[in-house]
Amino acid sequence: MDKKEIRRAMLKILDQDQVLADDLDVMYYSYDSSFLTKLEKVDPDVVVLPRSTEQVQQIMRFAFENGIPVTPRGAGTGETGGAAPLSGGIVMDLCTWDEIVEVDVANMQVIVRPGVIHADLNEHLAGYNLFFPPDPGSSKMCTIGGMVANNASGLRAVKYGCTEQYILGLEVVLPNGEVIITGGMKSKAIKNVSGLNLTKLMVGSEGILGVITRIRLRCWPKPKARGIVMAVFPALDDAPATVLDVYQAGILPSGVEVLDQSAIRAVNQFKPEIALPEEAEAILLFEVDGNPASVDWEGSNIADIARRRASQVEWTTEPERMTALWEGRSVTATAAARVRPDGSRVFAGEDISIPLSQVAETLRKIRALGKKHGVAVVNYGHIGDGNVHTAPVIDPENPTEVEKVKKLVHDIHLLAIESGGSTTGEHGVGAVRRRYAELEHGAALKVMQAIKTALDPKGIMNPGKLI
Amino acid sequence: MKFKELPSVKDQIKKCVRCGRCRTVCPIFAEIKNETAAPRGHVFMVQMLRDGVVEPDNSVYERLGNCLLCETCSTFCPSGIDIHELNAAARSYITEQKGSPGKHLIFDKLWCNPALLRMSSRMMWGAQTLGLQKLARTLGLTQLLPGDLPQAEKILTQVPRRSAREQLKEINPARGERKLRVGYFLGCGTDLFNPEVALAAVKVLTHNGCEVVIPRSMKCCGLPHVANGKLGTARELLRHNIREFSALKLDYIVTDCASCSSALSRKNLQFVLGEEEFSRQGIHFADQVVDLTVFLLEILKIDTKTLKMAGPFRVTYHDPCHLAKAQNIRQQPRELLKLIPGVELVEMVDADRCCGGSGTFSLTHYDLSSRVLDKKMENIKATECEVVATCCPSCTMQLQHGMARHQYPARVLHPVELLARAY
Repeated sequence: MDKKEIRRAMLKILDQDQVLADDLDVMYYSYDSSFLTKLEKVDPDVVVLPRSTEQVQQIMRFAFENGIPVTPRGAGTGETGGAAPLSGGIVMDLCTWDEIVEVDVANMQVIVRPGVIHADLNEHLAGYNLFFPPDPGSSKMCTIGGMVANNASGLRAVKYGCTEQYILGLEVVLPNGEVIITGGMKSKAIKNVSGLNLTKLMVGSEGILGVITRIRLRCWPKPKARGIVMAVFPALDDAPATVLDVYQAGILPSGVEVLDQSAIRAVNQFKPEIALPEEAEAILLFEVDGNPASVDWEGSNIADIARRRASQVEWTTEPERMTALWEGRSVTATAAARVRPDGSRVFAGEDISIPLSQVAETLRKIRALGKKHGVAVVNYGHIGDGNVHTAPVIDPENPTEVEKVKKLVHDIHLLAIESGGSTTGEHGVGAVRRRYAELEHGAALKVMQAIKTALDPKGIMNPGKLI
Repeated sequence: MKFKELPSVKDQIKKCVRCGRCRTVCPIFAEIKNETAAPRGHVFMVQMLRDGVVEPDNSVYERLGNCLLCETCSTFCPSGIDIHELNAAARSYITEQKGSPGKHLIFDKLWCNPALLRMSSRMMWGAQTLGLQKLARTLGLTQLLPGDLPQAEKILTQVPRRSAREQLKEINPARGERKLRVGYFLGCGTDLFNPEVALAAVKVLTHNGCEVVIPRSMKCCGLPHVANGKLGTARELLRHNIREFSALKLDYIVTDCASCSSALSRKNLQFVLGEEEFSRQGIHFADQVVDLTVFLLEILKIDTKTLKMAGPFRVTYHDPCHLAKAQNIRQQPRELLKLIPGVELVEMVDADRCCGGSGTFSLTHYDLSSRVLDKKMENIKATECEVVATCCPSCTMQLQHGMARHQYPARVLHPVELLARAY
């Protein structure tokens, strides 16, 4: 169908301010935060910004009837090309639909529309002494809809897990425009094993099965206290060994983060006031939370355990210092670019997940791969759950370096699979890791494809992603 | 220097990883709420312009124009990109390619000539005094103005009859022993719309042993030109001002205006003049320029023991973007206010959030600018203050319009106006 016709149809369904129908405007929706979309630009035919289930239904019915691709999108902070309209068609920007519909304090639940920003939700919930625990580094910009679609997690996944553990039910508009509610139409129960678990099916489905339009989330009581232990290690191997010792001492921190030397330098260059010790080969940051007495006990015990191997240990419950240290970790993702004045980090091969026992070895192997391909790498990540983030730093406008990084990234993904891990721990597959689906899932991939075909027989939902 | 060779264009575009951190802090994105207004979207569009994917035309300028150049995004960008510089460079490139007779007249002719500017302001004063502005509004004639101007003309408050330059001498001797010889960079906004700020500044400076020189030859700082796609003219203005001030053998150059001090800062001189010319001529000049509140507090270290009661005033402080974000000057204006007997300083929520004024933006984008202003006004009203202090004539004009728009009776003053009352 001609893009003008698609645009006209959207303007009949939506108000003018909900449709971007100019060639120049739609270009802004050709990218997300992936390296892929820096290299390849595909513009959608139209961008729509719906704000009701009925509007989404009408858009989907039109797209289904006419076989037009639809790419749902949150804040475009994903790193996999998942929100990029690689086949053109309609981009559905759900960011302006950002209503917190209901906070049900008695049942510890909240119902939101997909465009609510993660940090905004937690600010709102704090007024009820509640919180939604998954804590992605992009908290200030990412949407809950995007988190659900990618089953996001983050710095506190060690203790609190991933988004899927908190989704009690969803409203989803299927590719043909039909609306379903998962988790029970009227259910506000926390436990529910009735029927096939369609909620779990939808969480992490990256927009290939339908559009998530309403989310019922479980919230937890907000911890009363928090503390951070920073431990500095002259030798890399001592970092994972210390994490293991902490677990074996019966302590489950809310987060355990690692920065290698290159990441430490990047953080200091971005925010010198954080002042991380640069001589270290690795820094661990443990976060503990809970009631004040347990935080104090856990924090001081972690500090004692860390001192066995670390050259320097800092244990703090002082709010400003905690913010600086934790921010130091959360800004690493983009601050990595600072290690090379004429370069940039690229989001590629950035999210492998490996067995806990192999973290140090894998970090070393990634460094060796970087050397082999002649690419500088910055390593950081969630060592507590084996999720390593690698940031290749290159001149992204130099074709030779781009080719080198593509080879490096492929090797990193294969390394993860060979180690008994996965190409992605929390960022998702999108378009960039789809090529590994067969290798990772084998015969299960066929089941996934059968589910996709059953729900989306015309293949219009976010084509070219996930499977 | 050619657009594509500018350091910000050549080296910084590729650093954008499109993480979206800028979306969370941009006051314009908060209003428009789609990617076309995201700062990373501006970086993307400048890249498209650089790579020839889009033509340098008005439609691109219009998109890039949805930006206050408040520098909030640049401050927060984890990759360290000067997004505002990229945007300004692209605006200039488009203006050079396409030309604009209206802009040529305003920015290359009128706004480079202090005498013509004063004459225009005098005509405005005359029109307001004779009631012509009100008459034109009543008759609906203002609706005939192009673009946002029918609405935007409301921002123009009563223009004073005499500019600051007409009320102040070129050389203002120190009272008592001369400690320092100080140049006063009198910006267009203060000169034409807020001369009382300049009078207060000179009073306080001379009281504290400064000989204050106000060179008649000084011209605009060039920031309106940077914002409106006239980098070449801004460069000429900077060269002129550097030449004129450098000839005066001054100890310091002070300015009450956040926009002027940011325009005359190392960072902006590097951007506008280029690294080579900046190294040759700009460094000493830039290092002499000091914001008035910083100068009074940290260099003059004014004696507060002899100050009289200036109040009582319940005062809240609004951070101008060009002071807080562009120069990281946040505490000094507050500290100065706290030193003034009778002033009670009350913090508003989001004191450093842009007011939406941003020089000519409030005129060219009245509706958008007002939406940003309305959020600021809610925070101001919550303080129940009778004075809003700020260090920027553009913010002052915008906030005064906010007071009228929200029928809230607070006055908008520069901290030095309150301080002058204590002498």
